[in-house]
Amino acid sequence: MNDSEAAPQASPEEGDVGFVEYQDFVSHEPFHFESGGTIPELTLRYETYGHLNAAKDNAILICHALSGNHHCAGVHSIDERKSGWWNFAVGPGKPFDTSRYFVICSNSLGGCSGSSGPYSINPETGERYRLDFPKLTVHDMVKAQSLLLDSLGVDRLHAVVGGSMGGMQTLQWAIDFPHRVGRYIAMACCARHNAQAIAFNDTGRQAIMRDPIWDNGNYDPDQPPGHGLAVARMMAHITYLSDAGMEAKFGRKRRTEDAGKEHFDVEFEVESYLRYQGQSFVGRFDANTYLYLTKALDRFDLHGPVSLDDTLSTVTAPGLVVGFTSDWLYPPQGNREVAEALLRLGKDATYAELSMDFGHDSFLVRSPELYDLIRTFLDR
Amino acid sequence: MTHNKMRRQVDFQIIARWVDEGDRVLDLGCGRGVLLEYLKQKKSVYGVGVDISFERILSCVKRGVPAYHGDVQALLATFGDNAFDRVIFSRSVELLDDPDAILAEGLRVGKRVTVGFVNHGFWLNRLNFLLKGQRTVNEVYPRQWYETLRSNPFSVSEFDAFCAARAINIENRVYLGGDWSDECKCLPNLFAGYAIYDLSI
Repeated sequence: MNDSEAAPQASPEEGDVGFVEYQDFVSHEPFHFESGGTIPELTLRYETYGHLNAAKDNAILICHALSGNHHCAGVHSIDERKSGWWNFAVGPGKPFDTSRYFVICSNSLGGCSGSSGPYSINPETGERYRLDFPKLTVHDMVKAQSLLLDSLGVDRLHAVVGGSMGGMQTLQWAIDFPHRVGRYIAMACCARHNAQAIAFNDTGRQAIMRDPIWDNGNYDPDQPPGHGLAVARMMAHITYLSDAGMEAKFGRKRRTEDAGKEHFDVEFEVESYLRYQGQSFVGRFDANTYLYLTKALDRFDLHGPVSLDDTLSTVTAPGLVVGFTSDWLYPPQGNREVAEALLRLGKDATYAELSMDFGHDSFLVRSPELYDLIRTFLDR
Repeated sequence: MTHNKMRRQVDFQIIARWVDEGDRVLDLGCGRGVLLEYLKQKKSVYGVGVDISFERILSCVKRGVPAYHGDVQALLATFGDNAFDRVIFSRSVELLDDPDAILAEGLRVGKRVTVGFVNHGFWLNRLNFLLKGQRTVNEVYPRQWYETLRSNPFSVSEFDAFCAARAINIENRVYLGGDWSDECKCLPNLFAGYAIYDLSI
């Protein structure tokens, strides 16, 4: 226990992927859902970064979280203020080094950023699916991604990676397609939602469904149930942060000391921040989609139908599970549980835990420790 | 090769002697995974390391050694009886919060248990305390008391007494002298610098 070793090397020169364009994968075959439902054709919007090598063995699939999408690195245009959601991690010289790896990120099946989902147009009716979209599971999401990989000529992935919902997809990948997964990294995830996670999700769904504008899902997309969706997002956003993180960022800081304002106007910084988060979410996310995706996560359960060990028994790839101490939505315990089951089964699995103040969203934060870990695991 | 590294290798060879080809091995307090890497190379084991330091887990990942970042006792509780062929405590027993319970758990989860420890009853330690009234500070104990983790050192005879009290069978044991390389054949509680036990229940 007392052997010493040099600290990990500093990261090489980093760069950005720059301008990127999304593409649409369209399968004209009917897509069958685990629930028994079918859609006549399937679309997944995706982006890729880097190049697929001749051996086609350098592809990495990144799975996004609930409110994320296919745009994980670079910018679409010079006017775009924010780069993709994982721009810190994806690019030349970055942990997902696009000078070595061919990185793929698709909008999840059921998502509202261009893939088939409640918000997309049903080609048979010319109308949005809305609540006619079939019941969705994480297994369905992964199956749709596997068809995308077929179309790209990627038979076997160097790695599958994801956090939160993306972490669950990652585990599902390792379970459903062991021969296609070279290794996997599942972060801030769990084998199934605990009661608290389901409770938060349902409260969010109720906020949407009790907004009169929701109208059983038949709202005008230009006039969405913005109050319900914003409140759902505000509440969910709190669960992505941590007490210590919020205290450090906002504390009791007041926005203005204007004495003349209304009693219940924005007063504290944290209120202003959350209201902004809620409002901007309404502009980029669809309420019905929120219902579908949160329900898919609530129903995700690797303990069924027999046991967690039974479900994970098909896994063959080496895995890395990462928990975050300040994550109270998917606490370390839930991540550990997955790793412990893998180790019980004699799998090549590693569990690492990081202490950061950023709560559930820690995996999205630029962290030298996490990035060292990812880099090292992808390299081994 | 440094003197330290040489000593470590001797320790490894003895630990490896009691490991069978392809064994399932759990190393509690695995550090940077060097021992497991060695056992993987020499005996093709399926080895899992456990450590509480992120940096050391990162080193295990680098070595391709599966590792678990967390508490030894909590992890042991998740395994069934005889889940591993061997559970190894290499210089980690003295750092445990509840050695009695954790060794019992180790003996439940592992068919056999290896314990390697520094013999606190070594004559130089005794002499130091007798003459100076101070703890030994040397290569084995490189730091002052205020610079170290909480530690609970014990001697060969204390460990023997523990095994007897808990009806733990001592299948094999090897004592190394003060240089931690040559075997120590007589009066181990006085002359052994390091001891390695192979235990079962």
